Amino acid sequence: MKEYALMMIGAALVNNVILARFLGLCSFMGVTTRIDTAAGMGLATTFVITVSSMADWAVQTYLLAPYGLGFLRTVTFILVIASAVQFTELTVRKVSPSLFQMLGIYLPLITTNCAVLGVALLLVESHMNFLASTLFAFASSLGYSLVMVIFAGLRERLALAPVPRLFAGPPIGFIVASLLAMAFMGFSGISTG
Amino acid sequence: MIRLSDRNTVEGIVRVVEVQDGVLWLQPEQTSTCGSCASAGQCGKGIGSLARRNEARRFSIAHQDGLGLGVGERIVVGIAPRILVKAALIAYGLPLTTALAAAGIAQSWFGGDLATLLAAATGLACGLWMARLGARRLSASGELAPRFLRRAKPGESDGGKSES
Repeated sequence: MKEYALMMIGAALVNNVILARFLGLCSFMGVTTRIDTAAGMGLATTFVITVSSMADWAVQTYLLAPYGLGFLRTVTFILVIASAVQFTELTVRKVSPSLFQMLGIYLPLITTNCAVLGVALLLVESHMNFLASTLFAFASSLGYSLVMVIFAGLRERLALAPVPRLFAGPPIGFIVASLLAMAFMGFSGISTG
Repeated sequence: MIRLSDRNTVEGIVRVVEVQDGVLWLQPEQTSTCGSCASAGQCGKGIGSLARRNEARRFSIAHQDGLGLGVGERIVVGIAPRILVKAALIAYGLPLTTALAAAGIAQSWFGGDLATLLAAATGLACGLWMARLGARRLSASGELAPRFLRRAKPGESDGGKSES
């Protein structure tokens, strides 16, 4: 249990998908203009990353590894991720058309989010069992959502701040992102200390 | 459909596609991307056509007397931000929680990967069923229904930029 907890803290904070691995930067800058939309996108991505990681683990363990098809890994994982997104879209539409109308915007964005593929490929390298890999994926995506919400909050405040004209918009956003990344570097003390 | 607006409403621009007695049928006017980078025009295009996706996301709101809205008009609708997060928690958070809980229990009971995998899939299915119940309750309370805010200004778009 302790190993799982440490692994999840490491995946969410120390090796954060966005600030340490630099994955999912498009949505990081694009969908963080407001906390609510960032939270919605974060939850949708969390769901897709976790579900697709479960499927990717099964495909890797029961199909690619036993038959020596490792060279097809990236293509296969992309297919699995696209299928997971389609599954999610169909399921949410079936579960509640109202929710689908409201949340459907996030789903196409997730398919092209490199964080999903990045986490799946990291799992293959780490050779974990099913539960550990699922928890790792879940924690990684929670870390993604956390950073999205934090950054959205900062950008909401930035929108009200007197920013010099040359730095207004994305430039000040990138500067804030770099400061946030440096702040997250402090979490690396957890694993080494 | 979603864009930055005042703090109390998440707004989106929709087009009126049908006007029936007391009901307006609306179609979101959105791109399939966040629209914030140079690749916005190409991003996500391969995942089904945008027209088909938007058509699938048609929805209706109660027609308000005296507005005189016609087919083809662009209007702005909005929902409370709190509802957006609540809906996301029900749709995505609940199934994930049950899937992870089921996987954890199966791992401690059986220990094998296959059993854990099957338990996670079962937990996910149960979670989706529970999400359906939760969404029905939320829908019945009327909280999920977007409300008419105003007519869209000429050139106004979801990204907040003028169309040229």
